[in-house]
Amino acid sequence: MIVDVEIDGRARRAEVERRGAVWQVTIDGRALQVAAAAVDGRWSILIAHRDARRGAAGDEAPADDGGGVASAWRSYEVTVETDGGRHIVHVDGRPVPLAIADRRARTRRVRGEAHAAPGVQGAVVAPMPGRIVKVLVEPGQTVAARQGVVVVEAMKMENELRAPRAGTVAAVHVTEGMSVEAHAVLMVIE
Amino acid sequence: MRKILVANRGEIAVRIIRACRDLQIAPVAVYSACDRTARHVRMADEAVPIGGNRPADSYLRIDRIVEAARITGADGVHPGYGFLAEHAGFAAACRDAGLVFIGPPAEAIALMGSKTAARRAAAAAGAPIVPGTDDPLGADVGEPAIAAAAERIGYPVMIKAVAGGGGKGMRVVERPDDLASAVRAARSEAGAAFGDSAIYLERRLVRPRHIEVQLLADAYGTVVPFVERECSVQRRHQKVVEESPSPAVLPGLRSQLTAAAARIAASVGYVNAGTIEFLVDGTGAFFFLEMNTRLQVEHPVTEMVTGIDLVEWQIRIARGDRLTIDPAAAATPRGHAVECRVYAEDPDAGFMPSPGAITALRAPAGPGIRDDSAAETGGEVPIFYDPLISKLVAWGSDRPQATARMRRALAEYDVRGVRTTIGFFRWLLDQPEFAAASFHTEYLDELLQQRRGTPFSAVDLSLEEVAVAAAAIYAAGRRTDAGPRRGGSGSAWTQQARTDGVRG
Repeated sequence: MIVDVEIDGRARRAEVERRGAVWQVTIDGRALQVAAAAVDGRWSILIAHRDARRGAAGDEAPADDGGGVASAWRSYEVTVETDGGRHIVHVDGRPVPLAIADRRARTRRVRGEAHAAPGVQGAVVAPMPGRIVKVLVEPGQTVAARQGVVVVEAMKMENELRAPRAGTVAAVHVTEGMSVEAHAVLMVIE
Repeated sequence: MRKILVANRGEIAVRIIRACRDLQIAPVAVYSACDRTARHVRMADEAVPIGGNRPADSYLRIDRIVEAARITGADGVHPGYGFLAEHAGFAAACRDAGLVFIGPPAEAIALMGSKTAARRAAAAAGAPIVPGTDDPLGADVGEPAIAAAAERIGYPVMIKAVAGGGGKGMRVVERPDDLASAVRAARSEAGAAFGDSAIYLERRLVRPRHIEVQLLADAYGTVVPFVERECSVQRRHQKVVEESPSPAVLPGLRSQLTAAAARIAASVGYVNAGTIEFLVDGTGAFFFLEMNTRLQVEHPVTEMVTGIDLVEWQIRIARGDRLTIDPAAAATPRGHAVECRVYAEDPDAGFMPSPGAITALRAPAGPGIRDDSAAETGGEVPIFYDPLISKLVAWGSDRPQATARMRRALAEYDVRGVRTTIGFFRWLLDQPEFAAASFHTEYLDELLQQRRGTPFSAVDLSLEEVAVAAAAIYAAGRRTDAGPRRGGSGSAWTQQARTDGVRG
């Protein structure tokens, strides 16, 4: 299976194949042996050392009690958090924002406003209720990742929201002076 | 004192409730509508709803809080910090209702709450004060008089609100030409924020350090000052990291600071906990800045280096106990403590508040680590209040060990569902100036400006590879419903994905 991931403005392609208790993940031509086990919403990820010597049963899971030491693995604690249409993968406490290409794009209409859903990856979303102070871009405009696109006033402060990715402003759903609810999609960057 | 009503919320309410438990005093919680399921409510023996979510509808309602104390039969009221803690009218209302206000007398709050009166009191007690105007400049004082005062003080000059404090409502004026418009704007802001448009002027010291002295005073005239705290790491005048002792204060300066603080407190008949804030310039000269007539957010660092429980002593002083603290013990630090204020803010979006549901939280622990928090998995960071998640404190036998432990603790801290400043603190502790403790009150603002918005979540390539691999397995599990084994059975990746899908 091919999974395309966009990370820090770059595209990475991963090929994922399950072999017994271990996944083979090939990223840009580099093959990794990965074992993943879950504990209450947290994942123990083990990645085989590249030069690990493997026993006869090369794809044995790390926990097997075959007797003797089979191999050493790099160990990480990973959690996956959804963030609108994107994800944040926390690796040993360090957050890595990324987007997973997902063919299923759904939107829901709730009380006449479009709300962010998985698949709408370029959405600029209001994190809390507020008022649009200034719209900094217009449809068709090219923007860079993290470029300021709209200023929202909330909690007595002005906050500049940024483009989650580089691209073109596809749609602007707000005008200056409008009030917005939490999770409202303010604009979409494609 | 058998029962105390905690007139606050969040982590400080939890802190006060813990002190009550240590003294076997029954705690009473008050809560706004959105705080119905908050931690502090569940920790108390009794709870009284006091109104709507906005502070003005609940935690600032003096009448409702006093009524809550009445119907529960509370003996005392602890105001915490913020909200009504420095509201002289609240202290007076408690006193008039026969309640013991766990803090200073209303008159001391009123006196020190006027920043110009506080400056006069400090000067009268022999403390050096930042050169500035002695009287409030109300609406009746015209621009020529203010311009003359600014000339006398010397530029750059700070315009501050007389009724302000806590770093709010301040403006810097570099040149005489900018003074008139800055005064107009400052007056208007002060009127809106504090209900009093009077301002005063102070010289702006160049790159000072913010050093403060905690003190306790009992009702019998004993005043005990503590070893100082350094709070120079500030973002837009809001403290972000505090530590004790100050790496810049030698014993000689410490004696001067603690003696000056004690003299000021004694001269105004102060009782209970308070803090005198000073600015210290590059030559070691110190100047009184203001007095905070309440317990402060950063009190844990003082507790860690002295072993003294300040909240417990607040309650004991209020019920009439005499201070039996050895002054030498209070003024001599044992080891070093650092505190990071973990806020639900997005450091990559200008530290914009990030309210919402906390979907997962695991606080650090281990040697030298203390986490003062009301946050928990399944909890909320409401939009109506300060988005503080926790105060993370690390103690070590010296500053390097305290810093190393803080780094370890920050790396262990797992909070999801809201953005936090944890990543920002990990970056900050790696800065060479932090290790060298060579900072001042403008240090952090300057450093952040230099970064020009570079994300704090930048990740090195080896971690990126792990993240991509994990994301790929996550996605594969979601699509084929054949996720990785949960310790040998089950499909927990898919469960996670389904939950995420429902939430999205």
